[in-house]
Amino acid sequence: MTGIAPSLPTAGGPSRAARWRRKNLTFDKISFAAVFLGIPLVVYLVLVLSPFVQAIGYSLTSWSGFDASTPFVGFANYVKAFTDADFLHAVQNSVTLVLVLPVVIIAIAIALASLVTIGGSSSGPVRGVRGGEFYRILLFFPYIIPAIAVGIMWGQIYDPSNGLLNGILTSVGLTAFASYPWLGDARTAMVATMFVMIWASVGFYVVIFVAAIKALPAEIFEAARLDGAGRFRIATRVTVPMLRSNIRTSLIYTGIFALDAFVFMSALNAGGGPQNSTLVISQELFKTAFTKGEFGYACAMGVVLAAITLLFAGVVFLVDRLTGGREDLQEE
Amino acid sequence: MNDLKPQLHRRDFLRGALVLGIAAPLTVTLASCAAGGSTAPAATGGPKSATNPFGVKAKSTVAATIFNGGYGTDYVTFAAAVMAKQKNGVTATVSPATNIAQTLQPKFVAGNPPDLVDNSGANAIGISTIRSQLAELSDVIAANNYEGKKIADTLYGGVTKPGTLDGKLLILNYVLTVYAIWYSKSLFDANGWTVPKTWDEAYQLGLKAKAKGKYLFIWGKEAATYYQTLAIASSIKEGGDEVRLALENLEPKCWSKPAIQSVFTAMKKIIDAGMFKPGGAGTQFTAAQAQWSNDESGLLYPSGSWIENEMIKQTKAGFKMTGAPEFTVTSSSAMPYEAMHSTAGEPFVVPAKGANVAGGKELLRAMLSNEAATNFAKTRLTPTIVKGTVPADGFGSTALVSQSTLLTNAGDHVFSWNFVDLYGMNQDQLVVWNTFLSGKSSVAQHTAGLQAITDKVASDSSVTKVKVS
Repeated sequence: MTGIAPSLPTAGGPSRAARWRRKNLTFDKISFAAVFLGIPLVVYLVLVLSPFVQAIGYSLTSWSGFDASTPFVGFANYVKAFTDADFLHAVQNSVTLVLVLPVVIIAIAIALASLVTIGGSSSGPVRGVRGGEFYRILLFFPYIIPAIAVGIMWGQIYDPSNGLLNGILTSVGLTAFASYPWLGDARTAMVATMFVMIWASVGFYVVIFVAAIKALPAEIFEAARLDGAGRFRIATRVTVPMLRSNIRTSLIYTGIFALDAFVFMSALNAGGGPQNSTLVISQELFKTAFTKGEFGYACAMGVVLAAITLLFAGVVFLVDRLTGGREDLQEE
Repeated sequence: MNDLKPQLHRRDFLRGALVLGIAAPLTVTLASCAAGGSTAPAATGGPKSATNPFGVKAKSTVAATIFNGGYGTDYVTFAAAVMAKQKNGVTATVSPATNIAQTLQPKFVAGNPPDLVDNSGANAIGISTIRSQLAELSDVIAANNYEGKKIADTLYGGVTKPGTLDGKLLILNYVLTVYAIWYSKSLFDANGWTVPKTWDEAYQLGLKAKAKGKYLFIWGKEAATYYQTLAIASSIKEGGDEVRLALENLEPKCWSKPAIQSVFTAMKKIIDAGMFKPGGAGTQFTAAQAQWSNDESGLLYPSGSWIENEMIKQTKAGFKMTGAPEFTVTSSSAMPYEAMHSTAGEPFVVPAKGANVAGGKELLRAMLSNEAATNFAKTRLTPTIVKGTVPADGFGSTALVSQSTLLTNAGDHVFSWNFVDLYGMNQDQLVVWNTFLSGKSSVAQHTAGLQAITDKVASDSSVTKVKVS
């Protein structure tokens, strides 16, 4: 079943690049390139790439952020970062988030997307569970709420004395949870925070996967069903392999989301949480820059965060390739 | 389900999106580090005279950036109106800001900071960062106020001490803060309770509170270090000035001083007896404070005198909020029980590179006038550093009356410390205190945690230390 994707027909004819080269450069073509390629490129260089370069430059200085003097200190900030227990703790927490969140979010999203698209009645055409449209809207709903509002709302839900969660738990007889500080206990703070992040973002990926599954040919699912595959088997052996590139992209997006996490962490535990159990790199960076006035050091932290992000993207691609994604990449 | 369609476009799009996706967080994390150029300061001024001690140019304007927190900003607007009425007709534009560091950082880098800054709130600029860019303010307190008295003579004693760094007055703290243990006088009277004077008496009161189904203390996660403030004050009263100096000068093993240890041990006994309302480490601090001021599920709350203003909308009717001095450990403490931890807050600074430095000082002078200071005390129910602005009835506030009483009883025994704010330690200490108050660390672990924070600053050569004596 895994061999289906490569056998799909692809767009024929010579590649666009080849066609481009064959024709002469007319004014029309040059002006088109200048407007649609040149301007975005300049904007990209000025607004995206130059801050990167500038930040890397500042990371080699001891700039305080509040004056114009930027003394060069070489790699001292990086040495400091990798011997700073708090920063390393933050890195550890960020890495935990990036290992857990993408996998969990995407697993839940695929499961839900499969339910609302192919999980319905096993007679007649392949379709989702009854009321699938309604569930799609319902699942997308948390994504519409701004992250900061989600954080504040869940902060109230988790409140030890007057929160909804402990209210429900104690009313069903679990009196041990009276006044239990979900966000104030190092054992649960991270899990509670992760739950909020998953709750807030899973709906978006459900919508993405629903769209991707709907773009797949229905005949394949029908054929799989005729061959006697159950819903679970169809989901794991047909849907997932055919959504490989969507999953890969979503993994990277969720990874970036997990590595940032600034808004959620600030709303739920602004100070880094009990025993720094929810302190993430972006929070430590913010604190170093603005309250401690060490912008050079903060820039070094930013560069480390960027490196971790790139490393994560690299690992996702590598895993994808090692597990048989090669054909997919060579398709063009 | 759709028919077969070429999948290439979608993949192309996703790959492009991937590049952008990687770029997005980079931009967010790195772009915040961008800086501008710098320009030379242009300090303009006119001739100096007795009525114009700083030589502010007539009809000039002053740019003031004021922290918009519990006290609001209209008290500065009021002072600006007082200033505008004077002969020189200097006016001010008051810009409220909630994140002082983020708002002013580009201006400091570009060399065009405002003329007066109220550097307060959670996102205040670390003073050691901008210390070299601040104007000296000793001429402000040497000048006469609008009523014709020398300003220095109108201030409470010692209020300029925290703003004096290595002999230079760089920060003028405007609001007088009295740190105390706050309680509801009506609740105590109704139950026949007396306010504890030592930690042992506090424990006894805790037992009585438990019998009524109440807790002795409550705390909130962002304000766990209020208990550090209480512990330090209590230790200084018990062990005397040497405790304060050890902490201020970041001495090795300073947290192991016997006075501090005896306070921690007494606190631990109260924590282990379950007299702190559980769950504080997960409770937002104003919600926790409301459990004290509105639900009355906790009896005592250690805080600064801003507490009345902060909780004014969430205080039970007839609460009669009253302050008491911090506990001592024994009755033979080095300082008397009446000794008070009091300091001035709301740090006002005048950046030396501002366009109108003299104007910034002039606005401070206006704020220190009797008229503006009385307005502040009346509308905020908090005294400023200017003496004699609170009448005997405290504008009807029991808390304000008790502040005056506490300060009068303390006499010369008024002390304060600076190291927590000066070195920006509060955030790190919060973590340690939340753990301790939750009952999850022993006195030894707690001491080690606090000592590690002190040692980290002490051994960081990039941090400029201030020697305190």
